[in-house]
Amino acid sequence: MTREKTPAAGDLLQGTLDMLILRTLITGRAHGHTIAEVIERTSENALEIEQGSLYPALHRLEDQGLLASEWGLSENNRKAKFYRLTPKGRKRLIADTAWWKQMTRAIGLILGESAK
Amino acid sequence: MAFRRFTDRKKKDALLSDEIEAHLAHEVDANIARGLSPDEARRQARLKFGNPLVTRERVWEYRSFPWIEDAWRDLRFAMRSLAKSPSFAVIAVLVIAVGIGANTAVFSVINTVLLKPLTYPDPGSLVMLMNVGPQGSFQVANVPKFNLWRQQTSIFDAVAAYDQAGAGLNLTGGNDPEQLQGVHVSLDYFRLFGAPLAAGRVFTSAEDSPNGGRVTVLSYGLWKRRFGADPKIVGTNIQLDGQPHLVVGIIGPNFVTETPADLWLPFQFDPISRDQAHYFQVAARLKPGVTPQMANAELKLVADQYRSMYPGVLGPKTTFGVSSLQEVMVGDTRLSLFVLLGAVTFVLLIACANVANLLLIRSTARQRELATRSALGAGRSHIIRQLLTESLAISLVGGFLGLILGFAGVRLLLAFSPGDIPRVGSDGSAVSLDTHVLLFTLGVSIFTGILFGLFPAISTSRINLARALKESSSQAGVGFRTGKVRSLLVISEVALALVLVVGAGLLIRTFMKLQGVDAGFDTHNVLTMAMSLSGDRFQKTAGVAQIIRDGMDRLKNVPGVSTSAATCCLPLEGGFGLPFDIVGRPKGNDPNTGGAGYIPISWGYFDVFKVPVLRGRSFTEHDDGSAPGVVIINEAMAKKYWPNADPLNDRLIIGANMGPVFVEPPRQIVGVVGDMRGNGLNRDPAPTMYIPIAQMPDKVTALNSRIAPLWWIVRSPQEPHPLAKPISVALRESSGGLPVAHIRSMDEIVVTSTARQRFNMLLLTIFGASALLVAAIGIYGLMGYSVQQRTQELGIRMALGAQASTIRNMIIRQGMILATIGIVIGVTGALWLTHFLASFLFEVKALDPAAFIATLLLLSAVAVVAVWFPARRATRVSPLTALRFE
Repeated sequence: MTREKTPAAGDLLQGTLDMLILRTLITGRAHGHTIAEVIERTSENALEIEQGSLYPALHRLEDQGLLASEWGLSENNRKAKFYRLTPKGRKRLIADTAWWKQMTRAIGLILGESAK
Repeated sequence: MAFRRFTDRKKKDALLSDEIEAHLAHEVDANIARGLSPDEARRQARLKFGNPLVTRERVWEYRSFPWIEDAWRDLRFAMRSLAKSPSFAVIAVLVIAVGIGANTAVFSVINTVLLKPLTYPDPGSLVMLMNVGPQGSFQVANVPKFNLWRQQTSIFDAVAAYDQAGAGLNLTGGNDPEQLQGVHVSLDYFRLFGAPLAAGRVFTSAEDSPNGGRVTVLSYGLWKRRFGADPKIVGTNIQLDGQPHLVVGIIGPNFVTETPADLWLPFQFDPISRDQAHYFQVAARLKPGVTPQMANAELKLVADQYRSMYPGVLGPKTTFGVSSLQEVMVGDTRLSLFVLLGAVTFVLLIACANVANLLLIRSTARQRELATRSALGAGRSHIIRQLLTESLAISLVGGFLGLILGFAGVRLLLAFSPGDIPRVGSDGSAVSLDTHVLLFTLGVSIFTGILFGLFPAISTSRINLARALKESSSQAGVGFRTGKVRSLLVISEVALALVLVVGAGLLIRTFMKLQGVDAGFDTHNVLTMAMSLSGDRFQKTAGVAQIIRDGMDRLKNVPGVSTSAATCCLPLEGGFGLPFDIVGRPKGNDPNTGGAGYIPISWGYFDVFKVPVLRGRSFTEHDDGSAPGVVIINEAMAKKYWPNADPLNDRLIIGANMGPVFVEPPRQIVGVVGDMRGNGLNRDPAPTMYIPIAQMPDKVTALNSRIAPLWWIVRSPQEPHPLAKPISVALRESSGGLPVAHIRSMDEIVVTSTARQRFNMLLLTIFGASALLVAAIGIYGLMGYSVQQRTQELGIRMALGAQASTIRNMIIRQGMILATIGIVIGVTGALWLTHFLASFLFEVKALDPAAFIATLLLLSAVAVVAVWFPARRATRVSPLTALRFE
């Protein structure tokens, strides 16, 4: 039952969450916890996600070949799974970012903001 | 790569679990660093992460095929639920199996005949050269045409002539002479058809020229059978017709020819021949990029060229053209196969309607079960999917059985009826189970499963929960709607069955007419056999006349032989035709006065076949080469060309304009005989000329000996097969050692000639009968069910004093109303659909009243029987039990 709790939010997030994850990893490899924190912090806590929902996205992106992963030791000397961008993932990020900017600009225009 | 997602799910889940642990640990670390107590830190971390199990579930789900896994679960459930009502499952599966089996059978034949490409390399570019005229297209060719076609190198890569091994030849030089099928071919034949060589080589250009020597290429079969697969045979001589022939090569094992061939001989055509006799066919390979349309345009010009080279032999509207080789081989089989496919589709539709009805009955009985599931949260789509899975389970199992059934069935049918279906091999051995057939059956199974399952599923899933749960299980939800649907299904079953039965009726009537037709000759107690006359002895008419005289003299003394004769060609097995002129008559616009069948015979021929001589006289042994030329015509010819005159006063010039081979002096018409239906029992007798074999021009005899064997016909007072042995021995002795082959009675030949009609009739009758049976079961099932549902009502009626007969008539009336509606719709459909059968009919119209009326009566009778039993059961309802009945 739980899995259908917030379908709309989930759907909305799906595409954007993927993009945010890719964006986070552009600076280098990171494990899940770091990724979650970075997204939370840099969005000024506006995008507060259930951290657990990060993992289906991570695994899907990995299966699509956009991310690669390896197990390693974290900054607190804990075992963790580190993710990094693949070249394919980098390309996808560029494409998605461009699309996103275009969309937000278009929506902004419709909502009456002046085009700058 | 895309598949990675579905592999190692358990291992990946364990790793994910570790990953989540690590995440939580990091969060706890961070929380402790913020100054929280360890317990609080852990609590906050869990809160922030959400339920780890949900995360794992989501990843797990994403890695699964939800659809397939659900389907598998549904399927197992469907099997369990079907197993709970085995009688329903068995009936449904069997009905579907019969429907799919019939479809598989017909489709496997269609697949073999129409769909499978020819076994030659690049078969799409192989064409047959045709004479295209107002009367249709014919694939016969003569040497001048062939020589002209062969020069068209701008459209053809290769052009080859070949015959049908008509004459056969005798393998001699051992203790066991044998008649062989020797196909004559021109130089490019092996290249054209891509024949693989097992040893040696094929003919050279020099060997395919006049006086090119006696050479032959053996088939793999003959090489193994007769020469023990000895490779040393290449380069040695074998004795054919008493002459040594050099074996130059052996063709590989997988070379399939239209006419089974034991060996091949070069035609050795004369490049300057003007011979107009047509006795072989020509195939060609189109050059890459050349379409049949382009070739046809080119050949039109070639036809004009031919017309100017040989004035008066090609009609003004006749031209040359190409047809795809496969189409020519398949010929008119296409139409009859499609009619059969239509018929089996009807059978399948009826089967579907019936199973749909069974499913409706079953699902109404299952209302409570479904309502319970729905109440427990199963969505409507889920219930539909569940019910559809059940019907798919039925149709797939039925399809599997049908595959076996259909395959056994088609073998049986093809083995039983020799027929003349091309490309199916001997007794249908070429009809094989390949991926096409498997995919077809699978597709049909899935389609039928959805067809008969979808409607019941949808209508059943529309449940009024509260009512269904409250009411007793057996009577819940028998809505007006499903009742109406079930009536509609029964009506369509009856309608479809009627169309099939009308079709079967028409074909049965056709076959009866064919059986009853007056062939114009007595086919009983006549034995026929072929003797190959190839060899130098038979290049002159006198040699052939001598062998006939000797044979007939010898046969006189064989006990059991009443009369005997010889002929070029047996009735019903094709023959020759030649143009003729009547001496003294103007020709008008046409090059000749007319054309007619041309049948060389010995004296005694009309006695053997008991054909009446209507005017003049029959041939005698004195009508030989030294006597004046004579000809006997049939009644059809007399009526057509001498409507108001006496043909016996006239003389015929036969084969004028046909080239030097046919030149002969005029012949006196000495007799008129009754018509024989020699071109097929279903064809009207055509004008025919009979001439004495002993009076044929030498060159025609030479040609004849080359393209057709001599047929012996022997009449006996009783069944003639026991005479086969003594006759063969007598003929072999009288001919100096020539074997005879193809020993058949004339009755057998008649049966063979109508085999196609019998095959079609048999199949359509089987389909019609099964359709009738299934439709009857449908009516019976519906009425029986409705009686059962109305037990209470009937009980009350009886308690109130209704007579048993009133109740019975009421039920019968209701059943018959459905049947009648179905019959009316069916007749309307049949009126239109039987037109497709028109070309299969003989002396029966597509709207034959007898067939329609008989079908109406039959179907009504079956319907009455089918409703009678439920009606009788209704009258036996005891009011007491009925009122208690729940």
